[in-house]
Amino acid sequence: MILALCSTGKELQSRVDERFGRTAFFLFYNTDTAESIVIENSAKEAKGGAGALAVQQLVDNHAELLIAPEVGPQALEALNKFKIPAYKQGVVTTVQDAIKAWENKTLDSIKDPGNKGLHKA
Amino acid sequence: MKIAVLSGKGGTGKTTVSNNLAALLPDATLIDCDVEEPNSHIFMNPEINLEEDVQVCFPVINEENCIHCRKCATFCNYNAIIASSNMTLPMKEICHDCGGCALVCEYDAINYEYRRIGKIFSGNSRFSTKLVYGSLKTGELSGVKIINRLKEITKDDPLVILDSPPGTSCSTVATLEGCDYALIVTEPTPFGVSDMKMVVEMLKEMKIPFAVVINKAGLGDNEVFEYCRSENLKIMGEFPFDQNIAQAYAVGKLAIEVNSEIRNSYYALWERIQNKVEALYGNK
Repeated sequence: MILALCSTGKELQSRVDERFGRTAFFLFYNTDTAESIVIENSAKEAKGGAGALAVQQLVDNHAELLIAPEVGPQALEALNKFKIPAYKQGVVTTVQDAIKAWENKTLDSIKDPGNKGLHKA
Repeated sequence: MKIAVLSGKGGTGKTTVSNNLAALLPDATLIDCDVEEPNSHIFMNPEINLEEDVQVCFPVINEENCIHCRKCATFCNYNAIIASSNMTLPMKEICHDCGGCALVCEYDAINYEYRRIGKIFSGNSRFSTKLVYGSLKTGELSGVKIINRLKEITKDDPLVILDSPPGTSCSTVATLEGCDYALIVTEPTPFGVSDMKMVVEMLKEMKIPFAVVINKAGLGDNEVFEYCRSENLKIMGEFPFDQNIAQAYAVGKLAIEVNSEIRNSYYALWERIQNKVEALYGNK
């Protein structure tokens, strides 16, 4: 299974990012092979629709599950449509900790959207 | 002649200046382009004789035709379409209604549906001035389509004063498009000056000639005067901060109704604007 995580850096030891749509990097971790790839988040500087563009990147990289600080209402709707469940990263420090927390089944799923994005017309 | 009144910062007196000017001029049409928070109708008290819905389009995918080629998603500048190899998902609230996705679709898989984003109103004010204004539904992103409609229904009016939304967003740009002249209303405070600078940049970029009106003069500091001098910006009017005018404003009265000196200052301001516009464009 491929997990998508919001990361401030390119390593498993990097800190998790406190943003979803505007996270610095997305780290995709394959739980079967223990391999990971990292992409720079192209939605980071998006003028609007950052959440939607973030979901697009998850879709493009075949993510099957998202671990994020929170997810806005539109992105959450899109994740549901693409059948990518979202889990709250909680109080972990590093990406690796977040993966462990998920493997230990201690993460809560995100059912309600967090704050709305700041997209301006 | 189309004259926009803008400021950058909210609360500096755009509505005060635009409404006082418009109320003096019997042939004028006032457009309140601040569709998120219109308030000119409070002062102009119009008898509404036209009410109209404003709608926008959003894309809907025809699943029978869509082959999920992703062209529409790649094309969309606003990230309003997410696509995978087996699903294409439009996000209607992010869509800016540009119509581009259907143009790039080679499979005739995109149709549009409408939704209402707000309303426009038009009527004659308690002065003889005409007032048109709009209101954007709460939660909607952009009032540009409403502003464009307000401008469309007044395009043949001889003299139009546009009360602009605050800031330098798409709504302000939409308000300014096609205007002959602009008045920046500012207040002599650090925030007033700082936000005014963004508006000056915008007007220069859009090549719209403008002058400055200082409202609430006597408050704050001298920075705005120094800035105007250093940038060679013309100050066309100055209105003092006045408790009585503020009190009148609070109960929906205009300064020109309660203070004859201010009324004369607005006449003088109007004459200067007219002269300037005539010098720029000839008798228009």
